Amino acid sequence: MNWLIKQLDRMTESKTRTVAQSTGRRSFMGRLAMTLTGVSALPLLPVARAQQQPGETGDPNSCDYWRYCAIDGFLCGCCGGSMNTCPPGTEMSPMTWLGTCQNPADGKNYIISYNDCCGKTSCGACLCNRNEADRPVYRPQAANDINWCIGTKHLTYNCSTAIVVGTALEQ
Amino acid sequence: MKNTLLAGAILTFAAAAQAELKPEQLGKVLTLPEKYPPHWIIVHDATFFHMLDGRQYVIDADAETLPEQVKGMFNSSFIATVNQSSVRPEMYVAETYYTRGSRGTRTDVLTIYDKRTLEPVDEVILPNNNRYSGMPNQYAHTLIDNERLVLIFNLNPATSLSVVDLEERKYLGEIPIPGCSLAFPTGERGFTSICAGGDMYSVQLNADGTMASSARTESFNDIDNNPLFEKPAIVGSTAYFPTFLGDMVEVDLSGPAAKVGERWSLRQGDDDGWRPGGMTYAISDAEGQLYVLAHPAGYDGSHKDPGVEVWLYDPATRKRTARHPLKTPGLSIALTRDAEAPLMIVTNIEMGLDVYDAKSGKYLRTVTGFGQETPFVVHGAR
Repeated sequence: MNWLIKQLDRMTESKTRTVAQSTGRRSFMGRLAMTLTGVSALPLLPVARAQQQPGETGDPNSCDYWRYCAIDGFLCGCCGGSMNTCPPGTEMSPMTWLGTCQNPADGKNYIISYNDCCGKTSCGACLCNRNEADRPVYRPQAANDINWCIGTKHLTYNCSTAIVVGTALEQ
Repeated sequence: MKNTLLAGAILTFAAAAQAELKPEQLGKVLTLPEKYPPHWIIVHDATFFHMLDGRQYVIDADAETLPEQVKGMFNSSFIATVNQSSVRPEMYVAETYYTRGSRGTRTDVLTIYDKRTLEPVDEVILPNNNRYSGMPNQYAHTLIDNERLVLIFNLNPATSLSVVDLEERKYLGEIPIPGCSLAFPTGERGFTSICAGGDMYSVQLNADGTMASSARTESFNDIDNNPLFEKPAIVGSTAYFPTFLGDMVEVDLSGPAAKVGERWSLRQGDDDGWRPGGMTYAISDAEGQLYVLAHPAGYDGSHKDPGVEVWLYDPATRKRTARHPLKTPGLSIALTRDAEAPLMIVTNIEMGLDVYDAKSGKYLRTVTGFGQETPFVVHGAR
């Protein structure tokens, strides 16, 4: 892993630096995720299969994309799916954890459902870990430490989506 | 000239004959001591990119070279949970298998490994196939009742604990812990779980693993604003829970029910903005000193960031006694279990293991290149 990280660091240094300015810059998983995301995103730019809505900006295959503020896993857009669809042959978990992320394009807070795609082993691309409002496992609905392939045929975890399910109430 | 050549050839042949290798014995397999030396560690590699292929490495953290450091390994499938016995030469792995590798029929199982041979010697099936699957957590796998019973955390997403009798190798049943998670040893034969309502839930068991009594604390954990981390350091029967914003909360687990105690600040002096964090961030040594992994300039979401220092505390005075700057930022910290000269092991951000003298903080060596991928958690060997 060490040599891999160093190799990837060299290849994606500038991208990592850019991402680091706006995301969990000291997070190891974030750092590892950014390097991997950087590599994987290169042939996919500007946007591959991601189904963005008109009121969104940014690269949905990059860890600093607004919807990923509380994600922990492999971005499905780098795994044959998209930010809101699962890759072929997997099954979307009906249960999940939720985040509340602010869309920079309209300034509104949205509830994001991070449904896992299950039934195949780790996708391995575009690992992304950000922890805004993440909570320990004792509050499961806000815990990204849990493998949410629950209620699916198999526990095997492939990747994570980030689906808009509504706007958040004003505090 | 001819004679000289002949003499040389004879000498060469004689030397070669003398150095001829002897046939070696086939089939030899090494074993390990029943009681591991004090500076050996068990490294839990969750193999995040290949979760079905989890490993536990046995490593001598004192040794300088890789061949001397690596003592062996055993497997732990699908981000397993692990524990070691101090009264039997055994280690325990709660893991998950499918009949077709990544698919098929699921089996959750508690596998029992012999510390001497690193071979699986027995297993107990966990029949409900609802084992917690997630990032490694030492309190998802808890020994109680002088290590006779083990509690395995389940989440599907209803939460419960499977109870297994390790002496009889028998599954005893499940204790529901609605709204709560994990298990911290409590009282004579019980546990405490931490709950979504901000409270804690304590249960004492009968000898047969059924529930004897239960109790809940008042709600005291401000989960929205300053939640307790879920992995405390435990000294004797007192659990020390850091909070996201840098408090330490004591919980007395000596009686049948948890009692919430003092709350004090980890920040002392000119360390505004510092917070605890990481993956394993609070541990204690054999003398009961507390070690907390900390990072500066904390923010919402920094609670899993690597630490750049380890702070030591004397729980008797609740004062910080030392700050150990890390050579490389670390994700998890661990300690060997000896009182004399414990080692501190730090899983660094490059996924190597940095070894420090725990008391002085002096960096000693890095253990890496042993086949590890994501060695998220390290345990001092028992």
